[in-house]
Amino acid sequence: MPDVISQNMPFLLQGLVTTLRIAALTAIGGTLLGLAVGVAVQLRLPFVAGLLRVYIEFVRGTPLLVMLFICYFALPALMGLHVTAEQATVLGFVLFIAAYIAEDVRSGLRSIGSGLVRAALATGLTRLQSLRLIIVPLALRRIIPALFNQYVRLLKFTSVASVIGVQEFTGSAMLVNARVFAPVSILIFVALTYLVLCLLLSSVGRVLHAYLAA
Amino acid sequence: MWLPGQGRSRFGFTVNYQFDWEPILESRALILEGLATTILLSLCALALASIIGVIVGTLASSRHKGARLGAAAIVELTRNIPLLIHMYIWYVGLAFLRLPPFLCGVLGLSVYSGAYVAEIVRAGIASVPDGQNKAALATGLTRLQALLLVVYPQALRIVAPSLGNVFSQLIKDSSLASAIAVMELTYQASAIEGQTFRTFEIYITICALYLLLVSAVTLALRLLAGPRDDAPAQELASA
Amino acid sequence: MSKPIIVLEDVSKSYGAVPVLRGCSTAVSRGEVVVVCGPSGSGKSTLLQCINGLEPYQSGSILVEGVEVGAKKTDLPRLRTRIGMVFQHFELYPHMTALENVVLAQVHALRRSRKEAEARGRRLLDRVGLASKADTRPGKLSGGQQQRIAIARALALDPQAMLLDEPTSALDPEMITEVLDVLIELADEGMTMMVVTHEMGFARRVADRVIFMDQGEIIEDSPTKTFFSAPVSQRAKLFLSKILSH
Repeated sequence: MPDVISQNMPFLLQGLVTTLRIAALTAIGGTLLGLAVGVAVQLRLPFVAGLLRVYIEFVRGTPLLVMLFICYFALPALMGLHVTAEQATVLGFVLFIAAYIAEDVRSGLRSIGSGLVRAALATGLTRLQSLRLIIVPLALRRIIPALFNQYVRLLKFTSVASVIGVQEFTGSAMLVNARVFAPVSILIFVALTYLVLCLLLSSVGRVLHAYLAA
Repeated sequence: MWLPGQGRSRFGFTVNYQFDWEPILESRALILEGLATTILLSLCALALASIIGVIVGTLASSRHKGARLGAAAIVELTRNIPLLIHMYIWYVGLAFLRLPPFLCGVLGLSVYSGAYVAEIVRAGIASVPDGQNKAALATGLTRLQALLLVVYPQALRIVAPSLGNVFSQLIKDSSLASAIAVMELTYQASAIEGQTFRTFEIYITICALYLLLVSAVTLALRLLAGPRDDAPAQELASA
Repeated sequence: MSKPIIVLEDVSKSYGAVPVLRGCSTAVSRGEVVVVCGPSGSGKSTLLQCINGLEPYQSGSILVEGVEVGAKKTDLPRLRTRIGMVFQHFELYPHMTALENVVLAQVHALRRSRKEAEARGRRLLDRVGLASKADTRPGKLSGGQQQRIAIARALALDPQAMLLDEPTSALDPEMITEVLDVLIELADEGMTMMVVTHEMGFARRVADRVIFMDQGEIIEDSPTKTFFSAPVSQRAKLFLSKILSH
């Protein structure tokens, strides 16, 4: 390992921890929000479903960086709030990825035949119970590959947070580079780290999918 | 729309943002310049990504194990590294080449998106029954002719929607080129925001422009792919 | 026979302008086994699904243990726990083990303790000959095994009656017997059943009555012996000759 890397390791690791924290928080938040939105839209909840469709379409047409700017500059200005760059990042990523996850959830729900729903109802479960105990868990299992795709995207997205000044992994690495100027070794190190993390995350998804396959 | 106005909201914080679209209108030259750069950047990257994608995707469908493994390695290596890092590699890492920012943006975007195109091309080729290729060879076509005249056209129809997704993604991703000083739409928006402080107005404006571009690409691809006459795909779509 | 569990009176249903049930009336008494047959599209499945409220009907009345199924205030989940249902395509929950399939509604619909539900589930799996498959997912089981688990899932609720919608028609021939054997045993124990099936041997063996439907109408509703020896309607005769000829 080149000296520039090993000498700056503690600083880089700190950035990596921030990256992982943001990725984990946004994966959890995005999944919960995406699940709620996906179910609400698929069940065609009156009034809400229409609004949520607009939200999904808006986000899916917006670049992530612009979403981040909106959450960091525009929303706080609009509401007279102050948010830190990391808070804005988490909010922006959650709002962003949830729109994509909602669409995945919907396709998972669509994959479940009406016969299974009838069978659940026929055993005396209420609609809500059928949804909570059978339909949603089954849909989630079926979309595990898609979900982990989104998580890998999130992990890669975290680098974009450096643009609004969050000192995550990429941001820290570029700071180190600004001080010591060793772009080749630093970028190779950064790229390989993301590569390994992303590959690890996708293989977790594959193992989980194989284990829970149904 | 949002009403300009002042007052205390139910949530307890003060809403005193005054909407003013005048500065946005005054900055239209910059916005249009940025839009033009975004379009040019996207078109160049789209072309290069397609070339990369078709080559790598075809290698991935090869009968030679080495070619398949090589293609898979390229795909995994490029798509598991964040796009921003791709851009930095050309702009910062290879700074000694002194490539202009625009070119760095094109290269970063197309290598990254090329991996996604390759995956789609591979899937598309796999979806064309092997008998088609054999039938083409049996009529005396060369391998390349069979690929170009028989396999690719059929594959394109099947993968057109996925390609549309990747291309729209590419347009949105091009906003990251602002981080390496390419003066595209997002870059100009930041600049205008810095001068006018019309934060909300400017970002909503460029959101609308991106949406417009993405819709245009989706529409263009739908026209290019022609009417979808394959029954299974239609059934899938309506299911 | 004692008092009827299921009573249908002049039940009609249509999808838009297309009638699927036309003035159907019949009753099933406690302990009775009724086989419903007829050509495909005759409304047999719909009739069964109306009885536990899975399909709405537009006119007439269906009483299950005296409760009107179609009434707004009817607690359908509760009513459905009183009636076991078995589907043509099993409809087991693919992400759960056989035992979990049998346990789920016991815990969440009947509010049994998990321990009690599992004990009961294991007993029922044993009864349908699949005790060893308790921890297996449906995807790893044959069609016949899946259907037997589906029967156990329905029985776990201690239903007062069972509705079976073509329980063997999605099965390979060699698996039909294993499912029919379970059903014959159930019938012999006195379970009230309504079975949509084309298995006429099974009908002869266990049915007290046969209902023949065509184009949404109940054409014949006769004791089994009468139905097979001297069907009244021409359509039933034709149907029988077709189905018994092979």
